[in-house]
Amino acid sequence: MEAAQRTHPDTVPEAALATAGAPVRPSRMAELWRFRQLVALLVVRELKVRYKRSVLGLLWTMLNPLLLMVVYAVVFTTILRAAQPNFSIFLLAGLLPWLYFSTALMQGLMSVLVNQELVRKIRLPHAVFPLSVVGSNLVNFTLSFIPLFVIMATLRQPFTLALLFLPVAAVVLTIFCAGVTLLFATATVFFRDVRHLTEVLLQMLLYLSPVLYDVTQLGEHRTWWFRLFRVELQVNPLSWLVPLVRDPVYYGRFPPLSTVAVALLWAAGALVVGFAVFTRLEPRHIHHL
Amino acid sequence: MRDGQIVLSDVGIGYRIYREKVSTLKEAVANRFRHLRTAERFWALRHVSLQIAPGEAIALVGHNGSGKSTLLKTIAGVLEPSEGVVAAQGRISPMIELGAGFDAELSGRDNIYLNGALLGFSRKQMDRKFQRIVDFSELGDFIDLPVKNYSSGMYARLGFAIAQDVDPDILIVDEVLAVGDERFQEKCKQRIQEFRASGITFVFVSHNLQTARELCPRAAVLHHGRLAFDGPTDAAWERYRELERGPAPGPVFQA
Repeated sequence: MEAAQRTHPDTVPEAALATAGAPVRPSRMAELWRFRQLVALLVVRELKVRYKRSVLGLLWTMLNPLLLMVVYAVVFTTILRAAQPNFSIFLLAGLLPWLYFSTALMQGLMSVLVNQELVRKIRLPHAVFPLSVVGSNLVNFTLSFIPLFVIMATLRQPFTLALLFLPVAAVVLTIFCAGVTLLFATATVFFRDVRHLTEVLLQMLLYLSPVLYDVTQLGEHRTWWFRLFRVELQVNPLSWLVPLVRDPVYYGRFPPLSTVAVALLWAAGALVVGFAVFTRLEPRHIHHL
Repeated sequence: MRDGQIVLSDVGIGYRIYREKVSTLKEAVANRFRHLRTAERFWALRHVSLQIAPGEAIALVGHNGSGKSTLLKTIAGVLEPSEGVVAAQGRISPMIELGAGFDAELSGRDNIYLNGALLGFSRKQMDRKFQRIVDFSELGDFIDLPVKNYSSGMYARLGFAIAQDVDPDILIVDEVLAVGDERFQEKCKQRIQEFRASGITFVFVSHNLQTARELCPRAAVLHHGRLAFDGPTDAAWERYRELERGPAPGPVFQA
């Protein structure tokens, strides 16, 4: 077929084409910043839609970890006889960051696919979807401290100044969740298996991370697999992230500076890698939806 | 480049055809090497060069699957070209599908803000537009009902009402005028005429010669992903008719 002949007079000089070749688009980061209010609105939408027509609404946010904690507390205190004072608070302090991470990841990795109708039709940074999932889970995470504090008061767990560290813990956790969720969200677009794989991996990770136990409680065994487990605990980012919440809540102390530093490194690293990979693959998403 | 200017230079949008879409790891591994050998490409668009000056109005015509919507999406930035360069300067209002960003569970009110944010507007900016949008949509009290309860006409009205109030430099319209009742269609056309008068660049897809002629002096004909004609609307229409009569070639595959 012949190329079209241009017949109308308003042609743009070739020079315009030359400048057009230069990328006129703002950087991915700047673009995302322009859409920050969209992220906020998507968070509100998610919460609104999730709890619509449910009688208890947002209360579920608080009931959820509470009920889970009851199950674990019963199992560990009466069946397995964990000899630890206020064991339920120990559990809850570990479970809250874990639930934040695992729920954000499982919901977030599907978020680009779930919103494909928008992705196909409107030009916008795809990262708004996983980030808004992390945002709505941050709201849940924050709200779940209300029942925690109620239980702490009931069980006479001391409230210390170390609790002031919790906002910092939330920020570090959120950065980490955002990075990991971005990475998995883009991977899921290309391979739907990622979702099922992650589901299984998360179940394993719960036991491989110091969530239901503390590293200091582990005895010494001279087996090779135990040593391997020790190494795994060293490299597992959750070993550094969970104490950010558990230390202030359960032990009533600020987490050690080294722990905070490693946690922060993990979080920053996850975000940088997650964001870089996500934006790199973003233009190809649409072909795989 | 000036605001409202659109330049497409030898643009191609290619899709890899795997016959069976690969979406599991196993398939990807199993097909790994076959992929590399027979990376067959389907070109939804190829070798398309167009220059649209600020304030110009152009209609795109072509058969179903000729690449019109792909071209619109490319201009809107939803699709990135596999070949060539696309540059569109300024704010683009894509009326590619009215109400594309609606969440059925949310009320019309919430959706106005959500849609505004999807187009990059702040809450404050949308506050100022809100009443105008509601008025234009003629939805009245329905604005507080979830949009899933809307009729398709109401849905489209709200969609158009939002899209018409975003002060675009480039307005992209994909056959949205076919929805709503006649009176509302007339209102939409009038609004587009106003836009035109204010010097906005206008790209329009139509199957209706009358509407295309009314709104655009220039038209481009797409035929199986190629630009077959670019010129005055009447002549473009003739070319389109001519191409439709001829034997339709198969899709353009290329190894």
